[in-house]
Amino acid sequence: MKILEARGIRKRFGGVVALSDGNLGAQEGRITGLLGANGSGKSTMSKIIAGVYSADAGEVWYNGRVVHYGNPHEARADGIAMVYQNLSLVPNLTVWQNIVLGAEEKTGPFLNNRQAREHARAIVDDLLPGLDVERIVDGLSPGEMQIAEIAKAISKRPRLLILDEPTAALELAQVKSLFLHMRRLAGQGIAIVFTSHRLWEVMEICDDTVVFRNGQTVATLDLEKDGRDPAKIIGYITGETARVAQAAYHRRENRNAAILRVTNLAQGTLLREISFALKKGEILGIGGLAGQGQRELMLALAGFYPDITGHVELDGRRLRLTSPAEAVRNSMLLVPGDRESEGLFLRHSLFSNIVFPKLGVRHYPLLTPFGKFREECRRTVDTLSIRTTGLDVPVRTLSGGNQQKVVVGKWLSFDTRVLLLSDPAKGVDVGAKRDLYDYITRRVREDGMSVILYASDNQELVDYCDRVMIMYEGRVVAILEGESITTDKIIESSMRVDSVREGAGDAAHH
Amino acid sequence: MQPTTRKPRWALSGVARLVVRPEYSSLLILVVMVAVATLLQRNFWSGPSLLLTIDAFGPLILLTMGQAVVLVAGTLDLSCGTALSLYTCILTFVMRTNQPASGVLAILITLAAAVMVGIVNGFAAGYLRVSPVVVTFATSFLWLGIALFLRPTPGGQSVGWFNAFYDFRNVSGLPAAIRSVSSFLPPVLILILLGCVFWYALSRGPMGRYLCAVGGNEESAYRSGINTARVQISAYVINSVFVFLAALFFVGQNQSGDARFGDPFTLRTIAAAVVGGIALTGGRGSIYFAIVGALIIELVNKIIFFANIPYAYGTLVAGAIVIIAIGGSQLYSGYSRRAMTRGRAP
Repeated sequence: MKILEARGIRKRFGGVVALSDGNLGAQEGRITGLLGANGSGKSTMSKIIAGVYSADAGEVWYNGRVVHYGNPHEARADGIAMVYQNLSLVPNLTVWQNIVLGAEEKTGPFLNNRQAREHARAIVDDLLPGLDVERIVDGLSPGEMQIAEIAKAISKRPRLLILDEPTAALELAQVKSLFLHMRRLAGQGIAIVFTSHRLWEVMEICDDTVVFRNGQTVATLDLEKDGRDPAKIIGYITGETARVAQAAYHRRENRNAAILRVTNLAQGTLLREISFALKKGEILGIGGLAGQGQRELMLALAGFYPDITGHVELDGRRLRLTSPAEAVRNSMLLVPGDRESEGLFLRHSLFSNIVFPKLGVRHYPLLTPFGKFREECRRTVDTLSIRTTGLDVPVRTLSGGNQQKVVVGKWLSFDTRVLLLSDPAKGVDVGAKRDLYDYITRRVREDGMSVILYASDNQELVDYCDRVMIMYEGRVVAILEGESITTDKIIESSMRVDSVREGAGDAAHH
Repeated sequence: MQPTTRKPRWALSGVARLVVRPEYSSLLILVVMVAVATLLQRNFWSGPSLLLTIDAFGPLILLTMGQAVVLVAGTLDLSCGTALSLYTCILTFVMRTNQPASGVLAILITLAAAVMVGIVNGFAAGYLRVSPVVVTFATSFLWLGIALFLRPTPGGQSVGWFNAFYDFRNVSGLPAAIRSVSSFLPPVLILILLGCVFWYALSRGPMGRYLCAVGGNEESAYRSGINTARVQISAYVINSVFVFLAALFFVGQNQSGDARFGDPFTLRTIAAAVVGGIALTGGRGSIYFAIVGALIIELVNKIIFFANIPYAYGTLVAGAIVIIAIGGSQLYSGYSRRAMTRGRAP
């Protein structure tokens, strides 16, 4: 029986349309897979159903009536539970306290902790035998936290369970055990919506699948009837338009020597054994699904993780990634991904923002040559075509694109050997994006600057990169060169289509 | 499902786990402090001296217990000192020396005022979402203003039996058996025990857990279906009740109210709570250890007094000891947390 039917859902966030025509159904006892590229609207759709957001248009039918949830509690009371991508665990409580949080067992006015422990333990034992429910959440590994989060959702005995990328933090064995449990829950008549970026997982566990692209539902498939054909689903995810790739940047074969050599870089679970070389005058792209360690790799190279392990050589000299200041001294400059919190002093002026890094590396014991700085700043504004009414306006009043130019602009007068760009065009309009990339490609050609570019938009990687490195779960899994740099290839490598077969083969064994 | 006890590979033995709990470093400091105090003050452990010590330490202990509750909930109260003054003023404003029954009325009215104080602080911090530091700093002047209005100069009237909150022996009309209790169980200790019982009952219900959850991660707590604003209001109201208990003791002791004496307590309660292992960032700590923290802060002053350190150096040394106590417990908790997670596979 169909328990959920969402039709024609629209949702805007400010000027960004997250969903333009979202449709999603779920049936009791069946697992529905939700697929789509980054930013295609999957999470937004899930959150609308779970009551986190309300839809601008369209209707959600649940259990035979139209529902409008104002907050997650109302949805929960109706039997809709969601496992969030960013978890909802309280770090200072134990696993079992988290699982029962908000729905504690009571005897009279007092908590019945024994009953709560047993209840929590029973659920956790099914999901991950060996996880001690007495442990404080703070000390758990990401995978264990994810299991605790799932246990928490299940403990509320939902009729519709929405799992938003629950497997991203899990090891293969944990995924398998989660799948067994999902099957069991489905067997009890619970409807499950399962979001994952790993295609093989959807192929293995789901009965139906819904594909989102650019905020729209583009396909609804019954995997039993329509077959489990990964190529066809990839086609839906990428869409025909993606195949028409026009190269704005002419890729060149680069015979230069490597300027940056990274060997076995590792940081906990975020980065694992990363090795690559960046040539002089090269733009090396980093692609992959969101959150596979790309951002962390950029931060690591900029010296944000003092306890990182591995060997990094810049121009043949060992480079110690001990602090951001050290990276700046060695002319490895980062344009961070979150400009509002990492790249700018929003309330300060354009001038202060651009001048600030200079004050850190050079010392002016008596007088700071502000006149000279203003002159330089004016040149920066011209070079990058920053649209502003003056040098003294607060950066916060500029548009997103121009703010991003300021982040790049503050490094402009530095001798840049390696520029690290972490998703520089995110939330930037087309014109500003072009200005930005024009400037960067010019510096690469004329000054032989080397660039590592992480972009969440694959088209930018196709348009501007000489090589593209694909990351998956903190590892480099593929390096694409020359003709093989297409959005299709990037998505295929990101989703590890080759491992779909592995996964299927693995399932056949059991 | 058979609940089994298992031992994950990272687990420390039971004893080790007890020792590495961050709060326990404060116990160690306390033992050292008591030892030093014993050496300096020969009659430290004699009955009358101990009673005096408890009476002197009691108020800070009560106030720190209250501060601990709001700190655990992830907030802060900078108005507890002036709120304390306010309650003493209300009590002495309502009471009439020649009408013993007015004492009961004064207690009820003051308790109602305390609950109101908690609600005002909690509403502004929880619902209006103003920073707790700003809110309670501002309200501290409100309470001071009202207190000065009620009692511009120290004084006021109190009923005779109010002395029972300070010492049973001075209360006429009490049976001799009860009066003699005071020689080994001072009323302030009863108030503290009352506070402990009050907290114990609360922590057995959901509220104690919710305070920790809201202090640990407000967003997660909200998503788990907890009314986080109401939890914060409750924290401030519970805090007010502790401050109210301290006010009872003061009026019992002095038989008068004073609008200005409470304020210096405020920052000392926060220092004491931190020494007692309560995290300023919320979510961590125990109000029983707030007692330990308050004892340490008070013992510092006592030691300095008995060590015959000149006043000017005394405050300096007191400051240094507090910094060492706080810094030490922070280092220790960082170390113990690493010890507890060491060896865990990434």
